[in-house]
Amino acid sequence: MAQAGRRIIDSRGSFCPGPLTDLFKAYREAKNGDILELWATDPAAKSDVQAWARKTGNVVEEIVEEQGYTRIVVRVTAKSG
Amino acid sequence: MKNVLVLGGGTGGTLAANLLARRLAKQIREGRASVMLLSDSTEHVFQPANLEVAFHGADPSKYVRKQQSLLKGNVKFLAEKAERISLQDRKVVTDTGREIDYEYVVIATGSVADPSLTPGLAESSYNFHTGPWNAAKIWNALNRFERGKVVLVIAGVPHKCPPAPTEAMFLLDDYFRKRGIREKVELTFLTPYPHAYPAKPIAEVVEPLLEKRNVNVMTFFNIDGVDPAKGRVYSMEGDEVGYDLLIAVPPHRGSPVAIASEIGDREGWIPADKHTMQVKDYDDAFAVGDATNIPISKSGVVAHLQAGIVAHNVASMVLGVDGLKRYNGRINCPLEVGGGKALFVSGTYTRPPSPMQPTRIRYWMKKSFASLYWQMLKGRLEPLFDLYFREENGDGS
Repeated sequence: MAQAGRRIIDSRGSFCPGPLTDLFKAYREAKNGDILELWATDPAAKSDVQAWARKTGNVVEEIVEEQGYTRIVVRVTAKSG
Repeated sequence: MKNVLVLGGGTGGTLAANLLARRLAKQIREGRASVMLLSDSTEHVFQPANLEVAFHGADPSKYVRKQQSLLKGNVKFLAEKAERISLQDRKVVTDTGREIDYEYVVIATGSVADPSLTPGLAESSYNFHTGPWNAAKIWNALNRFERGKVVLVIAGVPHKCPPAPTEAMFLLDDYFRKRGIREKVELTFLTPYPHAYPAKPIAEVVEPLLEKRNVNVMTFFNIDGVDPAKGRVYSMEGDEVGYDLLIAVPPHRGSPVAIASEIGDREGWIPADKHTMQVKDYDDAFAVGDATNIPISKSGVVAHLQAGIVAHNVASMVLGVDGLKRYNGRINCPLEVGGGKALFVSGTYTRPPSPMQPTRIRYWMKKSFASLYWQMLKGRLEPLFDLYFREENGDGS
């Protein structure tokens, strides 16, 4: 079984089309068990990522307010196949 | 002799070359500088018109001009394909084996929309991202369509022109209403984003309009593949949607030359400073428009504004004068909502887009920008655009 990976996605300064674009790019390449850590300054990122996780069945493990940005930690669990 | 090489003949490359040639006219005349544009095509397409072609049946040939005719007389034009860029050696090799040395390079090699990156998509879908003649195939398919399910799917991010897929839903609705068969057609929009438009303030404006037009929106749909035989689209999480006519925004990648030269990330997007547009670790190489990895819309207006910044900065370096300009992340993307109305998605790195109501005036502003495009490429209208795009809050740092 392949080892789970951790990837940091730095989307600070991105508003349109937004940090989710960067998250989805990483998600496409990720496998179940991987951790994706999104760094965002867009205030919508927190609610968007949580809504995405609820809808798709992936897990938001932690949201941390850092100095000037938010760190959102996602565990990939919902990929089929 | 200071040789400035511009790679790519799209909006950013063409405008950058013309602005550089204008600014360095004296040095070019005296043989102390040169500006060369290298493009793999002798033609230039006004890409925003692909929507007009696909959904209003406009003639594709109206939006194509000879590249040479768009360049100032003191820009050297070479129609060859760049095969390798060596930033260390300041050299570009073309498909004829020609080696071109430069002092400064502007990389405006754009993006490539490639349906074959998603299993089943190339065989099953139409699109308006791979040229006006492919956009015309949508128009032909719509004219043959009598009833059933029309699905539009965003098959990858990032992609050119964030408003285009949402706009296409409105234009599809308009089209079928005009034909009087709207009630026989089910319209569905599949988007990976949480809303019908990636920026929430704009989504809050367009979602009620889509609902009013009876357009289904399925959010968080990350496509996994298409089964053309069954007429079904599948998501990575196991959702599936049936279609009779499928239109796709294909996955995009950086240009083949960026990938072959290993100057971009895994998908070929070139890392650049989001303010100075300098390629990471190089002060003599710049990237503009779709080619970069900058977290901002891949759109004509971004390429336009970045071309102005880069032309200024390269010219300043050639002339040995101070005063580098910084790109502030300004975007200004029109979004047509049908019925002759439009809004603009406008913002900067520090000013997120705010809600804007669609109006007829904004629709005509969109049309006016389009009609000014060919003049804009020559660089003659920059004073006007400088006024229009002026920001109260500086450079968006």
